[in-house]
Amino acid sequence: MAENQDKRKRVVMLAGNAERQRLIESHPEAGLVSETQPLRANLSVLENITMVLQFRTNTYLGEANDIGWELLSLVGRTDCANKRDPDLDYEERFVAKLLRAVVIAPPMIMIDRPAQLLPDTDYPAFLQRTLTALDQRFAQCWILDYTWNAPLYRSRG
Amino acid sequence: MNALYDWLTQRGREWSYAWSRVFYFAALAVVGALSPSVYNRATRQVVEKQIYFTAWQILPGFTLFVALFSCVFVQIVGATASDFGLYRYALELVIRILVLEILPLLTALFVAVRTGAAINTEVALMQIQNEFEALERVGVDPFRLELLPRVIGGTISVLVLTLVNIVFALVIAHVMIFDFRPWNLPPGDFARVIGKVFDGPALLVLGVKILAFGLAVTVIPISEGLNTPQKQIFYAPIAVLRGMVRLFFALMLIEIMAIAVIYV
Repeated sequence: MAENQDKRKRVVMLAGNAERQRLIESHPEAGLVSETQPLRANLSVLENITMVLQFRTNTYLGEANDIGWELLSLVGRTDCANKRDPDLDYEERFVAKLLRAVVIAPPMIMIDRPAQLLPDTDYPAFLQRTLTALDQRFAQCWILDYTWNAPLYRSRG
Repeated sequence: MNALYDWLTQRGREWSYAWSRVFYFAALAVVGALSPSVYNRATRQVVEKQIYFTAWQILPGFTLFVALFSCVFVQIVGATASDFGLYRYALELVIRILVLEILPLLTALFVAVRTGAAINTEVALMQIQNEFEALERVGVDPFRLELLPRVIGGTISVLVLTLVNIVFALVIAHVMIFDFRPWNLPPGDFARVIGKVFDGPALLVLGVKILAFGLAVTVIPISEGLNTPQKQIFYAPIAVLRGMVRLFFALMLIEIMAIAVIYV
């Protein structure tokens, strides 16, 4: 497992699926952003985010909405706030999943196989931009990707 | 012969397994509903939404339907009783058949067809698409947030809809049997008949029956939806079909048991 030595954001290079699963299972406390973790299909993006916050912290709906809206503003995606999962494009769906994980401030965020989440996007650059916008919202972020995608990250310096 | 025996054994095993799941989930739901720690703002919000979609949204239309149905029913019973010279028993007959038996069952069937089917489909799809696990991963208990509020909201909705319809039916019965033909029955008879029919045991059985209807129309579809295998989308219609058939028989069984308790 090769790791990019950034303190808060790390790209964890994996040799295969078994290693990926083991890593995910060994960090149950991490907010997982993954293709295998779908949004609630009959809720909007904003509701997906606020639902988690309300349930975990018993926040008032208005307050939860404000926080959800603020997070969407940070990543410049307020336009998709009222869309539901089937109407979202890959980037919007990714952002919704990421914010759902970020909103409760977990000790760690794990972005699982971004190539699968963002097939139509130059994802290393997109991840860099999005995570920078949410820099104050998480303590640590691991990007789980396969070793054969390593050149994509290296080319970004 | 052996093939038939094996088939019957297999079906019996599936049947008993499915019903044991239903009763297990019902027990969890009842315990959960009575536990104050289950409730927070998020769960209350889902309960409110469920009541809105199950009861409030359909209240005007369904009440109008029940009013029309009650008019027709009261007219038929009144006219038939009159033909046989038994008009003085018409009100009691209307209350016993329409109010105690038909309306609660009709309401439960309507909610089952409308909300039960929707809940069954939604839970089955959530199970297929792995949404429950995704919720658990972000620290949300799907039982507390997604399932229990549906049971509570659905049960309250069946209770409220039935009570509203009973009140409407009683008013209609009063208007059609007394006010249109006030000379047939002595004044005060309405209250006397109500008191006679709605005695303690009958009220208790009615209350328990409505509660059981409310639980059935939510617990059975949820239980069946939860039994759907993950990632197999073709299984969703089968889950709904099974849930609805099971629900139909459960409602009929509850009704038969309630009748048996009162009349047998």
